[in-house]
Amino acid sequence: MTAVIETAGLGKRYRTKWALSDCTLSIPAGHVAGLVGPNGAGKTTLINLATGMLAPSAGTIEVLGGRPIDGPAQLARVGYLAQDAPLYAGLPVADHLRLGAHLNPGWDADLARHRVERLGLHPRQKAGTLSGGQRGQLALTLAVAKRPELLILDEPVASLDPLARREFLQDLMEAVAERQVSVVLSSHLISDMERACDYVIVLVDSRVRVAGAVDELLAAHHLLSGPRRDPASLPDRVEVVAASHTDVQSTLLVRTSGPVLDPAWTVSEVGLEDLVLAYMKQAAGPTPRNSHRRLEVRK
Amino acid sequence: MIWLTWRQFRAQAITAAAALAAFAIVLAAAEPSLSGLYHSSGFASCHGAACTGLASTFINDLASGGGIAGVPGTIYTILYLLSVVVILIAPAIIGIFWGAPLIARELEAGTFQLTWNQSVTRTRWLAVKLALIAVAAMAVTEAFSLIQAWWAAPIGRAVGLGGSGSILDETRFGVFVFPTHGITPLGYAAFGFALGVTAGLLVRRAIPAMAITLAIFAAAQLITPALIRPNLFPTSQTVTTIAAAGANVSLKANPKLAFTATTVPSHPGAWIISSGGVNAAGQPVTTMPAACEPAVSRTFRGVKVPAGTGPGALLAPVNNCVASHGIRVAENYQPASHYWPLQWSETGMFLALALALTGFCFWRLNRRRS
Repeated sequence: MTAVIETAGLGKRYRTKWALSDCTLSIPAGHVAGLVGPNGAGKTTLINLATGMLAPSAGTIEVLGGRPIDGPAQLARVGYLAQDAPLYAGLPVADHLRLGAHLNPGWDADLARHRVERLGLHPRQKAGTLSGGQRGQLALTLAVAKRPELLILDEPVASLDPLARREFLQDLMEAVAERQVSVVLSSHLISDMERACDYVIVLVDSRVRVAGAVDELLAAHHLLSGPRRDPASLPDRVEVVAASHTDVQSTLLVRTSGPVLDPAWTVSEVGLEDLVLAYMKQAAGPTPRNSHRRLEVRK
Repeated sequence: MIWLTWRQFRAQAITAAAALAAFAIVLAAAEPSLSGLYHSSGFASCHGAACTGLASTFINDLASGGGIAGVPGTIYTILYLLSVVVILIAPAIIGIFWGAPLIARELEAGTFQLTWNQSVTRTRWLAVKLALIAVAAMAVTEAFSLIQAWWAAPIGRAVGLGGSGSILDETRFGVFVFPTHGITPLGYAAFGFALGVTAGLLVRRAIPAMAITLAIFAAAQLITPALIRPNLFPTSQTVTTIAAAGANVSLKANPKLAFTATTVPSHPGAWIISSGGVNAAGQPVTTMPAACEPAVSRTFRGVKVPAGTGPGALLAPVNNCVASHGIRVAENYQPASHYWPLQWSETGMFLALALALTGFCFWRLNRRRS
């Protein structure tokens, strides 16, 4: 499996503060990969490093096997939609498409024109007068029509209302399906992830808490509830992600490679949102470092 | 990239073209009266020694509006000064409105994230933008200069032939004339633009970058004539009499001895950078001979200048007294033949500065690359 983004010990420091430190991850190709994590986890920094907007202070990062923004050929392979979809407010829609056509040898003019028509954008309308959703979709058009192998989106829906958010993601899914492009998108809105992504990376404090294909993760995690007992008494192959106890009852979110056979437990499926939140919460308490390593190696 | 550069630069280019057109129209409209006076004054067709007097008459009439029917008195003085000031500040305006926002606006609006992620490297993006707009900046500034030089050609000729006595009599080495004529506007334009771009890249915000550009450019414009231009090319020295140097003893400096020399013998049109007293042995003399103090105080008492005499007549006793003590004037000057070497040196210096700033911009822009 080839990686679209691969980092080793990656770090970025702003003066004395590390926005991202010792981040090692690998995002496989052929997925719509969601990068989730709380604010300040380093998602945007990671994406800025991947798109060459920042240079790393430590470690290495490879995008599609090459250094980010290393020459026009490498630039052509990656499409990027930055947060808040920056566009030239004074330039009309048509000029943005012309910009894309002039600056990208692989530009798909038909695709761009059809998308703009379908979105109902008037070619002479200035980008500054577009709604947030329209801006996002015009910016996405620019990123898609350059026909990249990898599309990177930083919080593409964060500033959109729920309806525009849904439309944008649907639109993204269609564009991705047509073009066979790998996608990495960051968001702190897990419900959006659930709709769009088939791969998820949970990033907390620069560390990957868990990463994997969504269906595999869901199959490997179970919610157990039963009489109160010490989580340590579970078999070795069962890893407890989160546990909560009342006086008489324990509820455990566990990761296991096989089925849970102990009849004392009531086993139920777990949703992606609960799963992600459980891993994000781990950050609050001290977690044994080797458990991260296991998770990382598992990829 | 050329298309994008043009698309983003279009409005500024049109503004510049309009400004240039307005400048040309105003000066062209005022040209017939100017050349009318040039011919009617007899200066246009003068020969030999007669010219100096006619030249002075011409520029004095022009400055005061005398001899031109139907125009307000000092219109040509105003036009001349304004046109020179336009050329003087054009590079600053270019640096402020073309240079400073070039990168800063992209950084402020976040649009660099759009442009730098197309299939064009930042180096190429900057190279095309800088090359095209720098050429436009130099062309516009030089066009202002050439239009003004065409319009003011009779004034330039009059000053060159020794015409003096009005505000228009600055020689071509003058602080306003030198940097606005010849090829120096090219250097200033390139420097102003590159300075603006660099400030924008470093400060990352357009408005502060504009202010910084203005401050640094103004400082460069002030420092250059005072400290840099005189030394861009080796100066020549000569020692001559007070009378031959057209010098007057400065009463303000008394008891120190200072002169204001106006000519260099057998070097018409020379730029006198400094002048000072020397004795017969060639040693500098910096104090007024004590024997001349009575002459100085007499001159002070008689400060009411008789009609029709200049300060020369008033100061003649002092000048003569100082001269009688064997004191002569040492002049440090750039001869007229150094005009073009100085033009090339100053232009070259600012072009080199512009290139250095540009190189810094490329380095800085790519430093963020991983």
